[in-house]
Amino acid sequence: MTFALFVQSAIVGVSLGSIYILMALGLTLMFGMMHIINFAHGAVYMLGAFVIYYIFFQGGAPYFAAFVASMILLGVFGYLVERSIYRPIKGGIEPTLVALLALTTFLQAAGYPVFGQLDKHVPPVFPGTRNILGVGISVERLMIIPVAAALVIALYLFINKTRLGAAMRAIEQDKEAAALQGVNVHVVNGLAFAIGFALAAASGALMAPIFKLDPMMGEQPLLKAFIIIILGGLGSVPGAILGGLMLGLIDSIVATALGAEPAFLLSFVFIIMLLLFRPTGLFGYAS
Amino acid sequence: MLEVENLWVRYGTVEAVRGVSFSVPAGSIVSLIGANGAGKTTSLRALTGLVKPGAGAARFESRSLIGLAPHQVVSLGIAHVPEGRRLFPKMTVLENLTMGAYRRSRADVASTLTMIYEHFPILKERGRQRAGSLSGGEQQMLAIARALMSRPKLLLLDEPSMGLSPIMTAEVGKIIRQINALDVSIILVEQNAMLALTLAQYGYVLQTGQLVMQGKAQDLLRDEGVKKAYLGL
Ligand SMILES: Nc1ncnc2c1ncn2[C@@H]1O[C@H](COP(=O)(O)OP(=O)(O)OP(=O)(O)O)[C@@H](O)[C@H]1O
Ligand SMILES: [Mg+2]
Repeated sequence: MTFALFVQSAIVGVSLGSIYILMALGLTLMFGMMHIINFAHGAVYMLGAFVIYYIFFQGGAPYFAAFVASMILLGVFGYLVERSIYRPIKGGIEPTLVALLALTTFLQAAGYPVFGQLDKHVPPVFPGTRNILGVGISVERLMIIPVAAALVIALYLFINKTRLGAAMRAIEQDKEAAALQGVNVHVVNGLAFAIGFALAAASGALMAPIFKLDPMMGEQPLLKAFIIIILGGLGSVPGAILGGLMLGLIDSIVATALGAEPAFLLSFVFIIMLLLFRPTGLFGYAS
Repeated sequence: MLEVENLWVRYGTVEAVRGVSFSVPAGSIVSLIGANGAGKTTSLRALTGLVKPGAGAARFESRSLIGLAPHQVVSLGIAHVPEGRRLFPKMTVLENLTMGAYRRSRADVASTLTMIYEHFPILKERGRQRAGSLSGGEQQMLAIARALMSRPKLLLLDEPSMGLSPIMTAEVGKIIRQINALDVSIILVEQNAMLALTLAQYGYVLQTGQLVMQGKAQDLLRDEGVKKAYLGL
């Protein structure tokens, strides 16, 4: 592997890792507060990308507006899913998981008749390359990094500096105690659904100009995000960030050097090793 | 101020509370005592919306509590210090206190905090420490202080002496008196019947979900049955 190729795949790895992190943070937030694993996260990623297809490419709106619309639309959808699926189930974890799985299957199956059988493509938003350390890097890939970083920082500030963020942390530690302090747990859980869905939509919206669009496109990033939250310790935010970067780098550098299958295999070997030595993940609590 | 009538609560097939009635006059301390599993905790949980009672009425200042969610009960002026304290262990002492004032405006919070620090100077000292790292006694103080941050008219205390040394228990007793002197009515649930009946004006004795005795606290303290069953005398 040449130096140029290494730099290139490292940057692509960080950009890929950024997407994984956005996906994993939403999953972690929802798991930490409600102990549910959102199987629909990949389908939401897919919908987020299709919003870009229709509003930016077909509708001709500016990309930024389409990106914000994608986050808002799917954030509202997340709140409605809490309202209409999670809340009526009253905290039953297994029934919620089954319902989320059903929702996922429905969204993917409905995707074919609604979006059409053929793959869709979104034209580049930021065409061209940029020279970094003498290596040409796709601007499209590069742009993902600051956008994802801004979203992660915004999420961090929201969770740690606002009243609603404090309510989320309180629910994560003791849902009943949070309710006894006056937190409307349903509304705050709904907000967590909205944030998780909006972040998944942002991931899909960022990837839309890079990969082809089809109703199953969310499954691969969802799988990665699952791996990351296991790697980072379920419910751990720093763990999700470090895990996301590591997985993105493995995916990109190993795939460039050895091919996609070894990269896939290696990421699993890596996780098994990690779980053997640190059974609660990188930052997990033994609780 | 609080009237509870014929309260029934069940968990699946377990009838935890069977037709309990009690009342709390404004400004008083009322105690519920009883052995393990008597239904004391469940009675409190039914009042603050943590469990839905199967039947019965509960009126606070003539408004029904039945069917309200916990956050709505807090807004009416009832604070509940649950069994086992239930602090937010990863939050600091100050963050825990701030959570207690969740439904109040920021301006009110500052003045309440000043008042709280007068009664609990240790909490000011420990403000930036994680709640999980406090000693058992300090945690109980914080749990009570957190509940007071909502400026309740009625405070529900579930076994505040649990796991505390005799010295800390006496300290908690002193605090309960001070709070009551600020015109906060109190329901005190205790297995430590001696402590409960010394602090309260009136007491109710629960046994396997039913009320078996009630009376003025000083009379209960002298009752032979109570002495034998709950005071270990
Ligand atoms: N979540 C629950 N699910 C099923 N049964 C429960 C639950 N909580 C309490 N119970 C049962 O309800 C009954 C009353 O319990 P409760 O906790 O109210 O008693 P208590 O008087 O507070 O006891 P303690 O002094 O041990 O705290 C007991 O038989 C208990 O086993
Ligand atoms: Mg109890």
